[in-house]
Amino acid sequence: MAEISESEPLNPTPDSPDSGASSRRSTMPGTKRLMVTLSVLFPFLAGLPFLLKSTEIYRSPLPFSSIDSLSYRLLQEPPSPPCRLQVVFLRPGIGDSADRLARLISDEVDKRIEGSLTCGSCGRNYAVSVTVDSGNGGCARSGIGEGDPCFWRCGVVDSLGLRNNDEAVDEMLDAALGKGGRCMGSGVGKVYTVLVGESDAQEGVRIVVGKHRHAWVEGNVGENDAALLIANIFIKYFVNGGREEFVAQRKGEFVPVGLDGSVVLSFSLLNAEPNDWVYDWNFQKIDEVMLAPVVQALAPVANIHIESQVLYHTPKSSICNWDDKSGGNICGIGDLPFFIIEVIDRYVPSRNECPLLLQLPNGQISKTNGFISPMWGGVIVWNPPECSADSQNKPLIRRTMSPEVQSLPRMIIMDDIGKQVKYSLEAASLAENNASLGIYDASAVVREIGRYRRERAKYLSFMAEQAKTS
Amino acid sequence: MAKLRRQFNSTVFLLIIFFFNSVLRPALALVEGGEGLEEEFTEELLLKPLPDRKVLAHFHFQSSAPPSVANGRHHRLFPKAIAQLARKFQIRELELSFTQGRWNYERWGGFDPMSASNAKPPGVELWAAFDLPLNEIDHTWKNLTHALSGLFCASINFLESSTAYSAPSWGFHSNSSKLRYGALPREAVCTENLTPWLKLLPCRDKTGIALLLNRPSIYRSHYHSQRLRLISSEFTGIILEQALTVVLQPSMRSNSPASSGYGFLQPSWSINSLFGKEVVGQCVLAKTSRIFFELEKDLAFKVDKLQPLSSWNNSAFELSGIPNSNIRELNAVKNLGSSVLYVFEVSNSNDHIPLDVGIRWKIPLVWSCPRAPFHMNRYLMGSGNERGSIAISLRSTHLHEQFSKASDGCAVHAVIFQVVPWYVKVYYHTLHIFVDGKTQIISDVVRKMKISPSEDKLSPGSMELLLRFPCNIQSAALTLDFDKGFLHIDEYPPDANQGFDIPSALVTFPDFNCSRSYQLDDSIHYMSTLLSKFQEENPVQTYTEVLLVPLTTPDFSMPYNVITFTCTVLALYFGSMLNVLRRRAGEEERLERSKASEKPGLIPLLLSKLSSKLKIKGKAPESSPSLSASSSILGPKLLTKVMLVGLLAVIWNYYLKNG
Repeated sequence: MAEISESEPLNPTPDSPDSGASSRRSTMPGTKRLMVTLSVLFPFLAGLPFLLKSTEIYRSPLPFSSIDSLSYRLLQEPPSPPCRLQVVFLRPGIGDSADRLARLISDEVDKRIEGSLTCGSCGRNYAVSVTVDSGNGGCARSGIGEGDPCFWRCGVVDSLGLRNNDEAVDEMLDAALGKGGRCMGSGVGKVYTVLVGESDAQEGVRIVVGKHRHAWVEGNVGENDAALLIANIFIKYFVNGGREEFVAQRKGEFVPVGLDGSVVLSFSLLNAEPNDWVYDWNFQKIDEVMLAPVVQALAPVANIHIESQVLYHTPKSSICNWDDKSGGNICGIGDLPFFIIEVIDRYVPSRNECPLLLQLPNGQISKTNGFISPMWGGVIVWNPPECSADSQNKPLIRRTMSPEVQSLPRMIIMDDIGKQVKYSLEAASLAENNASLGIYDASAVVREIGRYRRERAKYLSFMAEQAKTS
Repeated sequence: MAKLRRQFNSTVFLLIIFFFNSVLRPALALVEGGEGLEEEFTEELLLKPLPDRKVLAHFHFQSSAPPSVANGRHHRLFPKAIAQLARKFQIRELELSFTQGRWNYERWGGFDPMSASNAKPPGVELWAAFDLPLNEIDHTWKNLTHALSGLFCASINFLESSTAYSAPSWGFHSNSSKLRYGALPREAVCTENLTPWLKLLPCRDKTGIALLLNRPSIYRSHYHSQRLRLISSEFTGIILEQALTVVLQPSMRSNSPASSGYGFLQPSWSINSLFGKEVVGQCVLAKTSRIFFELEKDLAFKVDKLQPLSSWNNSAFELSGIPNSNIRELNAVKNLGSSVLYVFEVSNSNDHIPLDVGIRWKIPLVWSCPRAPFHMNRYLMGSGNERGSIAISLRSTHLHEQFSKASDGCAVHAVIFQVVPWYVKVYYHTLHIFVDGKTQIISDVVRKMKISPSEDKLSPGSMELLLRFPCNIQSAALTLDFDKGFLHIDEYPPDANQGFDIPSALVTFPDFNCSRSYQLDDSIHYMSTLLSKFQEENPVQTYTEVLLVPLTTPDFSMPYNVITFTCTVLALYFGSMLNVLRRRAGEEERLERSKASEKPGLIPLLLSKLSSKLKIKGKAPESSPSLSASSSILGPKLLTKVMLVGLLAVIWNYYLKNG
């Protein structure tokens, strides 16, 4: 292309100097030649992409745009699997009250669910079915619920049955609803059940949210009030997990979850140099005694696996320098990303690098001698007591982490966390007292939710405190 | 789920903190006790001079986890990843080998435990037996290949395809319908496979015997095979056996005193000269850590004849380092000698007293290794891209003379197991068997046969044959004809013109048992995992060569040719177009007309043109002012042209982008 433009100014030179007037062009260059040239050039250029296309090897394109649009769509409208709200009135019904009540509740839920973003739960994709179990064999159902095994079987529980101890009622309902009343295979999705029973008390309504996707209401409530209450329970507890704020803003840290939805907590004990000392732990016992109950309690919300290993010859990847003032090797906070590449670790440094201390950005030595990286794990450096003792090449003994190795950093962590736990427990019991005085009672689900909040608060305060000290 | 996760998140971290908090609680510190059995780890190395002046080094590491409910969850020594693998896929037995080079059965031995269990076909070989219902096995196998692929940085996941693996029923191992077998003969084995393998050892390659695994010396070897075998059951727990077999060529020490006098002195070597490192202490986590130095039975027999072999320093050789003990093989066959093992305890060595096991030969000795009853070869016959034949030949090594059994009806059995990819379409009815060059009736020789023909793009063909030969045969051969299939262009591997590999066939001799038992006196009360491996009763096995079948390949250079041709056409187009752009046809015609009136002769015309051109060149500097003047006049024109070109460039770019 450049040649063309260059050639043009040179072109007139042969004519200009001495050929005289005869050789000098008398007319302006015509457009015909230009057109001819362009007519060749343009088809050529237009055909070039086709040529390139025809010679390239076919590779099926990756659907990036589809992936993007899907993730965008998921973010905008989270998928809502179907679910069903089953309301059981344990009271005598009148005529076609079941259908009317179903409409009433459905309207109420519709009204309240507007504008709320639900994540992971059924959201607007719900169905309402009402059963009026009037006892003595009287049973009226809304819609075409007859014969569905997921439906409430009339006469299993009566209104008096709801007056027992909450825990007992909870288990009883779970049994009555067919072990969890899940009915996942029937295509209706999760089934949430609310029972409305009568009570002798003239006023006051008691609502209990059970552990297994059901709740019960005790009290003499009118149909409209009942619809309001049920819609409230459904949206607040069943759909939204009992939290006031909606999960529209999905900030916060997630624990990496496996494809099967399970969470693995992997604990490693790293012996940097086993020739110096080898430490061991009996994690299996710790797991059985301490962690298993916690995991069991969390089983309804998460499938947690706990595993442990002891690794050897795992030197840290960052360089730490000796500091005379603190009498130990100091690792700056900037080196931490390269410290160790395992997940949740306890690191026993080798003799050369012992004692190993972590330094906060403000120059102070970390009291906990450990760090937590959200979504990743944490490392705690544990300096063995032989560290300070100038012992030389003792015969190798496999040592176990035992009571006499309680070190100061550990105590601090214990104090910190102990205090936090104490405070949060106090706060929680206060809240529970307040709650039980009011209209709502706290059963297992509510309690569990409370516990999450408390633990989250604890975690946040712990992080805040760490940030403050650092 | 997401919101649960979020809630749950804080809990998890608290759990972590709680845990670290709790480890030191006195109540939980009573950790010892519990189950009596502990996880164990042993490391052993066997060194053996080979008859062809090479050295065999066999590293054997064994980790075991006792039966426990916590297997796969809590481990102290045993690699967690392997335990989880065994647990998740319900593996009863698994063997994975990465091999480079071919085991020389004639020179390095074909009738000893080493060749039977450690000689492997080139590339990757994987087999696994599962403890699962039959309908879940294929699915589990596929998942397993992917898991192993990730674990060992190898393309084991290619064994996922049903065209790549087979389900032998009796030809490979004992009768099992829950076993799957696959091989990748072309897989290149290198250090990226060794590193994850070493990571499974508790001491990695930081201390102990594994310290010797110096990458350059291993990958310079004539043969190296890195093996992993997993045995898992409810009663024994999980046993992980990791073995690395290397055949090295020691460099001849020029200053060896006897080398000048005798021509054929075996090279003297030591661990340091082989690996460039010395053993400086055992892995502290290993229960036993030993180095064995083995003298083959033929060699021991010859040394014995010179001087009763009792000392490590005798008239034939001298070991560099004093062995802690020596063990003799218990041999059923008298007057053939028995192999000798010198044992070195690694625990006695440290940084100051390194252990450098080696040998210095004093006299030249020639010996041979025990050979398998038949020497196996497999090769291709025929030419062209259409059809060919596979031939398996067995050449007797006259071993039966040593093991002469019943005089009448003496027979040798051989089991041949061969997997052939589907694109080599074997016609099994064309099986011909020749014994000593004469065609045999198949039913006379074949005792048992299981053939599963290949299905196109679905499953490979596999053949299991149990053959029975008379003892006194010299040679036998099997031939099978095949057609070469056509592949779709997508199915060709890179460098398809190289040819396609047919995995090694495995020939087993069930009559011959290669176990070795040793005279373990009371002072050696230890158990050696390596020696107990040698005592296992395994039949003699031989892998044949990998075959390279050239298949019809499409002209992969065709796209390149198309591009070059079209580019030539384009260049012509472009050139002519440039010509058109530059030429002023109208002007030339006008000039022609004005010149035509004068009508000079052709030669004067040419001369005048030439002279005018020369004049122009001479006057060029003078004409520069007018040129600049004209160029200033031509400025806008030039500008439009430049713009035009720019526009074209933009359009072109746009086209390319969209294209």
